[in-house]
Amino acid sequence: MAEIDSGGGGGKHKGGGKVRGKKASTRVDMTPMVDLGFLLITFFILATTLNKPTSMTLNVPDKTEKQEETEPIKASKVMTVFLGQNNEVHYIFGKAANENPDLKTVRFGQELRDAIQTNKSKVGADFVVVIKPTTKSTYRNMVDILDEMAITKTKRYALVDQLTPDENKLIADKLK
Amino acid sequence: MPIVKPKRSRPTTDMTAMCDMAFMLLSFFIMTAQFKQNDAASIETPTSISGIKVPDTDIMTISLDKAGKVFFGIDNQEHRVAMLDNIGEVYGMTFSDREKKAFSLMPNFGMPVNQLKSFLALRPEQQKALKQPGMPVDSSANPQTNQLAQWIFNARKANNNLRIAVKGDNLSKFPSFKNVLSSLQSQNINKFNLITGSEAPPAGWTND
Repeated sequence: MAEIDSGGGGGKHKGGGKVRGKKASTRVDMTPMVDLGFLLITFFILATTLNKPTSMTLNVPDKTEKQEETEPIKASKVMTVFLGQNNEVHYIFGKAANENPDLKTVRFGQELRDAIQTNKSKVGADFVVVIKPTTKSTYRNMVDILDEMAITKTKRYALVDQLTPDENKLIADKLK
Repeated sequence: MPIVKPKRSRPTTDMTAMCDMAFMLLSFFIMTAQFKQNDAASIETPTSISGIKVPDTDIMTISLDKAGKVFFGIDNQEHRVAMLDNIGEVYGMTFSDREKKAFSLMPNFGMPVNQLKSFLALRPEQQKALKQPGMPVDSSANPQTNQLAQWIFNARKANNNLRIAVKGDNLSKFPSFKNVLSSLQSQNINKFNLITGSEAPPAGWTND
């Protein structure tokens, strides 16, 4: 350990072996100071939040605004995504729910991304995604699908929290 | 001539450099420190590729824990007191200075208004130990059953520049988020932030 060093003040002996009092060194033992320093560092590391959370903006349509009469979007350009339980995603594409569409099931991640990209390339610029989280889906599923919209650069999408009776029937029929 | 004895001393280390480094790191951490707030509930947020930072000031946070309980908080202590006064007017309650002080120290909370007074009377450690039941919220406009809407309204009355952030847990169910969403939408708030962790975008992805 660092100790008080008695090396200072040598070379002044005038012979005769006279015993002189040891000259106190100016060296300071730094060990406790270092200990304290590291203790404080540990405290600050543990007490701080390092990775600052990010946020994604969500814009929802104005409910109070009077709905303008717009032409309904053609079902052939719409991909309707249902967020189901156990992190499953079901989607129909190209047909409305009452036209007996093919309900496909994918997982989050690459599978879902590929499905969106494929359908998007079939339609082009007018591609619309309608996101319908069911009551069994989690908040995480919703964030994931919104994130997927950002990744696939789908500009036109809508988050709709109500399923139509046709869609309820479709899901009930095809998913046992 | 006296015999020169080899100097006997224990091996010493010069601690100065180590000390310098320790204190340099220390000052770095002090300067960059942002303390963890002791939140009423622990929430694990989902991740997204979004790179927008959450603002530090003028922010209202609505938290959803995994059981679907809702917690509410705003950042500024003065505004917290003003908000509490506004809430008192709505529900016909008055708060003492002590209660206001206790309230201003809470970063977020999830108590129904009728239990708020007894909660504020508790000591901080008792407050921490108590499991908060969550803010009553539904999709109606009834001030008793949808107290979150009242808190949002009165917080914005206290500070008009508040930005709104929703912080949900991975496992919270969608219907509980829907209630929060409808409380916001009923007040014509159509733009808000969802707080998420950060995640690397897939390879080859560019932001444009």
